[in-house]
Amino acid sequence: MDKDMDMDMPLPEELELLESNFQLYDDYLDLEPPEPYLEEEQEEDHQPAPSIDPPLISETHINGHKRSRSDGSDASVPENVCPSDEKRSRFDDVDPKSDEDWLRYSPPPRETNPVVEERERVVEEKIVSRYASQIDGDCIPVTAPSGDRVYAKICRVEREERLKKLDVKAQSGGLILEPVSILLQKVEQEAFSKALQASSEGQSGITLPETPVVHERLWVDKYAPSSFSELLSDEQTNREVLLWLKQWDSCVFGSEIRSTCDEVLSALRRHSSIAQHQKHSDSNFLRKNRGPRWRNERFENSNNYRGPRWRNERFENSNNLDHENSNSKGVQDLWNKKSRLTGPPEQKLLLLCGPPGLGKTTLAHIAAKHCGYHVVEVNASDDRSSSTIEAKILDVVQMNSVMADSRPKCLVIDEIDGALGDGKGAVEVLLKMVSAEKKSDMGKENIAKEEQLGKKSSKKGRKTASLSRPVICICNDLYAPALRTLRQVAKVHVFVQPTVSRVASRLKYICNMEGMKTSSIALTALAEYTECDIRSCLNTLQFLNKRNKTLSALEISSQVVGRKDMSKSAFDVWKEIFQRRKKKREIKSDNNSSSMPNEFDILHSLISNRGDYDLILDGIHENILHLQYHDPVMQKTVKCLNSLGVSDLMHQYILRTQKMSLYVYLPPSAITVHHLVAQVQRPNIEWPKSYQRSRTMWLEKMETLRSWHYKIPPYISRHLSTKSFVEDLISPLLHILSPPTLRPVALQLLSEREKNDLAQLVSTMVSYSITYKTVKSEPLPNNPRHEAVSDTSSLSFNPPINDFINFKDYSSGHCVLALAMKQVLLHEVEKQKILQVSIGRSIHSTDGCTKERRDFVEVEASRAQSTKTDHVPACVGKNMKNMSQCNPSTSKILSNLGSSESTTVGVKLKSHGVVKNSFSRSISFFDRFKKLSSKGSQSTDVAVKNEATLRDMHPLLFKFNEGFTNAVKRPVRIRDFLL
Amino acid sequence: MLWVDKYRPKTLDHVMVHQDIAQNLKKLVTEQDCPHLLFYGPPGSGKKTLIMALIRQMFGPSAEKVKVENKTWKVDAGSRTLDIELTTLSSTNHVELSPSDAGFQDRYVVQEIIKEIAKNRPIDTKGKRGFKVLVLNEVDKLSREAQHSLRRTMEKYSAYCRLILCCNSSSKVTEAIRSRCLNVRINAPTDEEIVKVLEFIGNKEGLQLPSGFAARIADKSNRSLRRAILSFETCRVQQYPLTSKQVIPPMDWEEYIAEIASDVMKEQSPKRLFQVRGKLYELLINCIPPEIILKRLLYELLKKLDAELKHEVCHWAAYYEHRMCLGQKAIFHIEAFVAKFMSIYKSFLIATFG
Repeated sequence: MDKDMDMDMPLPEELELLESNFQLYDDYLDLEPPEPYLEEEQEEDHQPAPSIDPPLISETHINGHKRSRSDGSDASVPENVCPSDEKRSRFDDVDPKSDEDWLRYSPPPRETNPVVEERERVVEEKIVSRYASQIDGDCIPVTAPSGDRVYAKICRVEREERLKKLDVKAQSGGLILEPVSILLQKVEQEAFSKALQASSEGQSGITLPETPVVHERLWVDKYAPSSFSELLSDEQTNREVLLWLKQWDSCVFGSEIRSTCDEVLSALRRHSSIAQHQKHSDSNFLRKNRGPRWRNERFENSNNYRGPRWRNERFENSNNLDHENSNSKGVQDLWNKKSRLTGPPEQKLLLLCGPPGLGKTTLAHIAAKHCGYHVVEVNASDDRSSSTIEAKILDVVQMNSVMADSRPKCLVIDEIDGALGDGKGAVEVLLKMVSAEKKSDMGKENIAKEEQLGKKSSKKGRKTASLSRPVICICNDLYAPALRTLRQVAKVHVFVQPTVSRVASRLKYICNMEGMKTSSIALTALAEYTECDIRSCLNTLQFLNKRNKTLSALEISSQVVGRKDMSKSAFDVWKEIFQRRKKKREIKSDNNSSSMPNEFDILHSLISNRGDYDLILDGIHENILHLQYHDPVMQKTVKCLNSLGVSDLMHQYILRTQKMSLYVYLPPSAITVHHLVAQVQRPNIEWPKSYQRSRTMWLEKMETLRSWHYKIPPYISRHLSTKSFVEDLISPLLHILSPPTLRPVALQLLSEREKNDLAQLVSTMVSYSITYKTVKSEPLPNNPRHEAVSDTSSLSFNPPINDFINFKDYSSGHCVLALAMKQVLLHEVEKQKILQVSIGRSIHSTDGCTKERRDFVEVEASRAQSTKTDHVPACVGKNMKNMSQCNPSTSKILSNLGSSESTTVGVKLKSHGVVKNSFSRSISFFDRFKKLSSKGSQSTDVAVKNEATLRDMHPLLFKFNEGFTNAVKRPVRIRDFLL
Repeated sequence: MLWVDKYRPKTLDHVMVHQDIAQNLKKLVTEQDCPHLLFYGPPGSGKKTLIMALIRQMFGPSAEKVKVENKTWKVDAGSRTLDIELTTLSSTNHVELSPSDAGFQDRYVVQEIIKEIAKNRPIDTKGKRGFKVLVLNEVDKLSREAQHSLRRTMEKYSAYCRLILCCNSSSKVTEAIRSRCLNVRINAPTDEEIVKVLEFIGNKEGLQLPSGFAARIADKSNRSLRRAILSFETCRVQQYPLTSKQVIPPMDWEEYIAEIASDVMKEQSPKRLFQVRGKLYELLINCIPPEIILKRLLYELLKKLDAELKHEVCHWAAYYEHRMCLGQKAIFHIEAFVAKFMSIYKSFLIATFG
């Protein structure tokens, strides 16, 4: 693309206002995707350019002056003024006319092909229409018969050129141009917003291939905006997108700018920022020489007139260049300041979303081009599997083309929400890169910032970073599941519809251009009908035009106007349901009969296009109670909930019987709700989460219950269903498990009855397989009396059964045991379990019946009362022995079979921590087995064998806690433990 | 071990509450002519206890030795194979299971698994071919399809397999099944019976029962023996020397619903309804069945309601409960009931007090 470069070069040198021709062609270049074609054009371009210069310059002055004068008032005039002009041009043969225009400036023969001519004409006309009004008074003298047009053209061209210029600068790394560009944009936007409103234009993807026949070109392409200021989409969004793109400048263009500055400033003081390539053709040189003159003149001009702010700023910037050009440092500082202000954007991705036809793709392309990027688009038609997409992104993001077109690339991923299956790769790759970026970025960015602060420090290129080029993603549905993760990291911009009047006036303009007779009422209706989808409007109009039909407002819906089969996002659907549209027609005609069915139709098609009724109804349910509707006796609410109920019934019925055809009848229930509660004010809609959340939590708890149910021995669990559990059991059980009567004192201080209670409690816990578990996070209200005990962890029920009564805003009257008590219980329960296992085994060997086990438990519960031992079968007696032995440090008491003392002493020791604390369990295991094996003669063979193996598993562990205790002490030898 | 389990009668002879039924069942077993049985009655009335006692009567103590099995069954359902996980309790002679655990796949449980189990005849120790008992819990939760496939199974294997069905409401069991079974209605125990049982337990535990205390518990128990015994034990644990004035701890979820009811009575507005929705969600999350919520809510509301409205409110409660059974999202319907109540109550207030 050497040609391109050549062409770019002269531009900077003449500063912004120079070549109209170039500008025009340049635009076309942008419009043209096919490369070969570009080349052709360039050749054409090149010749006329130099020769045109002189006349243009004079015009620019005037123009600048004029613009400054009438800037604010040019709102919607163009349409009024331009028609005559346009008409003429329309009636004229296309080619002669444009030739005429051009001839006025530049005689050189042109070998343009028809396509170029055609487009040229279009641009001209636009320009005329826009600026004719401004120029009226002053400028007529300057040009021949159609003076307005000429001015207008120049003005337009000038503006365009400026834009172009910015591009080049961004690319080539101009000194002042960076800060200017943003300022310019803003001011320019303000200045032109009204003009834009008045003369809106069709937009579409610019890269659409052009149709071969001139007159068959789609209007959509024909009238696509070619520069930033022509965009029809929402101003705010445009600007923010541009700002975001601009924020990349420091990291994309940063180093380049600097290098060029150094080189060029020494040679060309003024235009250092622009001159990027050192290839000078003769013409370039010429222009270079001429450049300063124009510039100065223009500068003076603007100073005189003190026009709109953007102009001033710009000139101030150029001032900088002029006056400070001797020292590059000043410029550098300026640039530094700027880059520090913006920096690379925090969110590396930009996500544009909005309904189709509003110009998202157009905006992305235009903005990127505006900022000097080469746009690389990936859309749904491309292969988007993760491997290919990754290669592509890396290509774009990390590499610089060695070709002449060294503009950095900007990746535009279109239709990313369609990225399902294979396409998901794109999202994943992007996320990966972003997250990788974030990690490595933190350090880098700091360094970069410091360097920027330090004057004249060289900016380290951040090109090597994983995502160093802007990536713009475009989608229709922001809430598509594929985008969920992307949404969090990307900067999201939601497109809003342009106003109907804006679209309509643009349509009107285009119709005029095309010579199609329409009424603005009809166009307004069309715009409304298509919901401001400009693409579909234009296509419809072109279609009608082709068939020589006219568009009439009343027939919009009956005519062949293409209705998109469009599904809106769930949020939009809810909004439609809850928000009443302001109907002008209703004001006009009071009878509801005409408007009602219409509204019904709209809603019906809206909801049924969306599908997913379940979600829609959930959303209604979730949000309905937040609405502000007048409902004194709740009748509306009742009706709404009833219709929701009906829809639920139907839904269930459909699912059960699989009669999907009945789904047709679901939308009406939503429409009923609309008629009952719709309000004019904007509803605040939330995504329906609570039902799903409650459902998952319910499942979780059910699972808890079920797993607990399995753990309970069958002779109890068979009598319990989940229902009876939550209904009857849980509350009493919690009371029973934490009795307030149980004094948290040393166990040997408990009375006989209390000991009995404790034993019973333990047996209950065992039989319901409930234990305590250490929970770190949840702070239980510990009994203050027991701070001494470890305070970091607290104990809670192991199947978390207390959760089942933990209702929100509800305090139950359950008392919580002291931590020490819980520890004791935990210990006892563990002991009991082990006992049961071993007993179960020994019982198994002697008697296959479970009755004994139960009897045993009973005995166990009241084992302090030795009277009951009569009923116990022999084997259980044996186990009793085991049990009493199992208490550690009770070697002395071993002989007292079944005495209540044993437990008491054991527990006492434990609770006082003389022998052990948390390790007590393993020791007691061991002790027990030790003793059992030593007394193995008494126990059954099975038990011995079993315990021998168990003993091998548990090595001997001692823990000696130093401290003071009031407990009754008695000397015990280690040997006694081991025996 | 809780008293509920500890004092559960294990044989038909020890049964205290439904003695006449127990005797009849015993007669059936001794005459070796036991038909299919369908036990139905409210929760806490002793259905499972009777069934267990009956099985013990049939097979002796060995029936109590059960093992829990959690098995995944492969069921061939037309084109695909389903994996159904089912837990069974089985002894040598009987199998217990809840087919409704399989959810909407319960049809396959009945068609395949139950048939499979029913086919296998146990061999008696004496070489005689014994018979087998299948206990199916929660039959009323079975889908209609499952119930239809069940009736064939009942006939086909009736020679050596007896089904004991257990459910809360016989109305949800199809006619066909009911006519194939001997229906045994287990009433909820009357207050007197509950008092009798409580006194028995008190005696066994050696407790001093103050006069009227057992009656109070029975009164609060909603005629559920399980709940009565549990709250009895709770009282015992809370404070031992029992006094007749002692507070009987309420069920927490019932308290919570009472809170909801008073919320509803205090203010009737969509905003309040939204708060109520949050609380209803809380209850549902904690596995409280929606029918019970609705029923209890109605009960609480009726307590505070003007007599003239009671009829209407009951009507609407029934209406919404019906819809809730047909539908899927219980919250929609409970909430609709609350809204309806608010509407009725508010217009009543306006009419009465202006």
